[in-house]
Amino acid sequence: MEKRRISKILARAGKEQVKRLADEIKEDYSPVIVKAPEKSLTMIRMREPVQESLFYLGEVIVSEAIVDLDGAKGVAVIMGDDFEKVLDMAVIDAACNKGVFRRYDFLEQLEKEQTYRLKKENALFMQTMVSFHSMDAEVAP
Amino acid sequence: MAYVAVSGGEEAIEASIRLLEYYRSGTKKDLDLEVIEEKMSLLVDRVMSEAGLYDKRYAALALKQCEGSTDEAVFLLRAYRSTLKRSYDSLVADTRNMRLARRISAAFKDIPGGQILGATYDYTHRLMNFDLQQEDAPALCRRVQQEVEEQKPVEISPCGRVSDELKIEGLIDRFEPEDEEPFDVTQNLLEFPAPRSARLQTLSRADTGFISGLAYSVLRGFGQVHPTVGELRNGYVEIEVPYLEDPTESLWIGEILLTEVEVFNEADDKDQLKLACGYGAVMGRNENKAIAMAVLDHELNTTGDFPTQNDEFVLLHGDSLEMNGFISHLKLPHYVTFQSKLDAVRKTRRENHG
Repeated sequence: MEKRRISKILARAGKEQVKRLADEIKEDYSPVIVKAPEKSLTMIRMREPVQESLFYLGEVIVSEAIVDLDGAKGVAVIMGDDFEKVLDMAVIDAACNKGVFRRYDFLEQLEKEQTYRLKKENALFMQTMVSFHSMDAEVAP
Repeated sequence: MAYVAVSGGEEAIEASIRLLEYYRSGTKKDLDLEVIEEKMSLLVDRVMSEAGLYDKRYAALALKQCEGSTDEAVFLLRAYRSTLKRSYDSLVADTRNMRLARRISAAFKDIPGGQILGATYDYTHRLMNFDLQQEDAPALCRRVQQEVEEQKPVEISPCGRVSDELKIEGLIDRFEPEDEEPFDVTQNLLEFPAPRSARLQTLSRADTGFISGLAYSVLRGFGQVHPTVGELRNGYVEIEVPYLEDPTESLWIGEILLTEVEVFNEADDKDQLKLACGYGAVMGRNENKAIAMAVLDHELNTTGDFPTQNDEFVLLHGDSLEMNGFISHLKLPHYVTFQSKLDAVRKTRRENHG
């Protein structure tokens, strides 16, 4: 599974769900914190559609952490300031890199639930889709 | 009269700062940050946008700290931001794949993907709802959650831009994607003429009232354009950063709510007419600011003597922190400089009246 997909599922998941996954890994391994969770900034780069050039929209506050799991490094970055969650995500990433993460099925299940929920929210938005009815054309006398 | 520099007032200043608490102490009810975040979200969006910093919780905290003053909240967020290092530049955020919550066009009735009104006050009667004085907030929350639960899931599909079709038709100029690193106004002093990236970043962070007023002046005739909103959309844009251990991978760090606008206006192209565009993008749901930004972006591409055609005028006077800081400094002691002015007036009068 790609890092982008795993991090998206974990970032959207509840803090407790992420903690349970990290705790399972910690039962067999003792991760060492390489970089303790800390806040920093990420600048958002965007492309504007008029001249297709890049510009900076502004920054977001992120938390990041790095751990070492028996020689494998794990990195996590998420928006916001949840240090516990970002550290747990780094542990999971390290387990993935070491090839000892076994709960991809659970991640897939979480992803299904998250997508299902977003599609329901999308249904609310799509209820506001306009259906135009053409009026009778006026003919000049 | 001799000039006398003075010091003092430390105790009065401390008492003044303590007195600010007095104005927040009129009730025993606390203002929960979650409440500000969820029920004052347009205010939170405005503060985030003008601070150039997306974090709803911190914006809510800043608003709580300063009694809801947008300019003080922007000051607090900017000051806090300056204490943090920047670790990443995101990958280029793809607004074409925005998870849409609203999308309309004032130019075309039928647009690919349809017009989605989303949540808007545009069609509401502006009548005070006195029932909200005794609102049952838990019941509201439960009812809306229930409504979401009862929905039949609808596939999320991104929509192309309205301008895409016009570009294919040749009515709007097409450009190849340009990957030059943007100018960053948070790190560099603006120089003029400002690069396009500096213009867009500055307008996106600008004070909402300032750029709305400028755009209004353009539309009233103190400018050259009166464009049509080709597309206005808001929704969620995914933000990714590079994965440092492997450049072929990335990390998904979250999504931000964004409002994006393209406006169209007719323009001369040698011997035929075409359409020219202006672009606006702001954090959160702030449609008028995004439209105003697009109008000014377009206006700044024209030449003439109107203030809004002068990028130095438009870009240097709308930053909330700088603007309010400079105005605010007028109320600080100017005893020495004012005495100097006073002496000059007195001296001139004495000379004139012999």
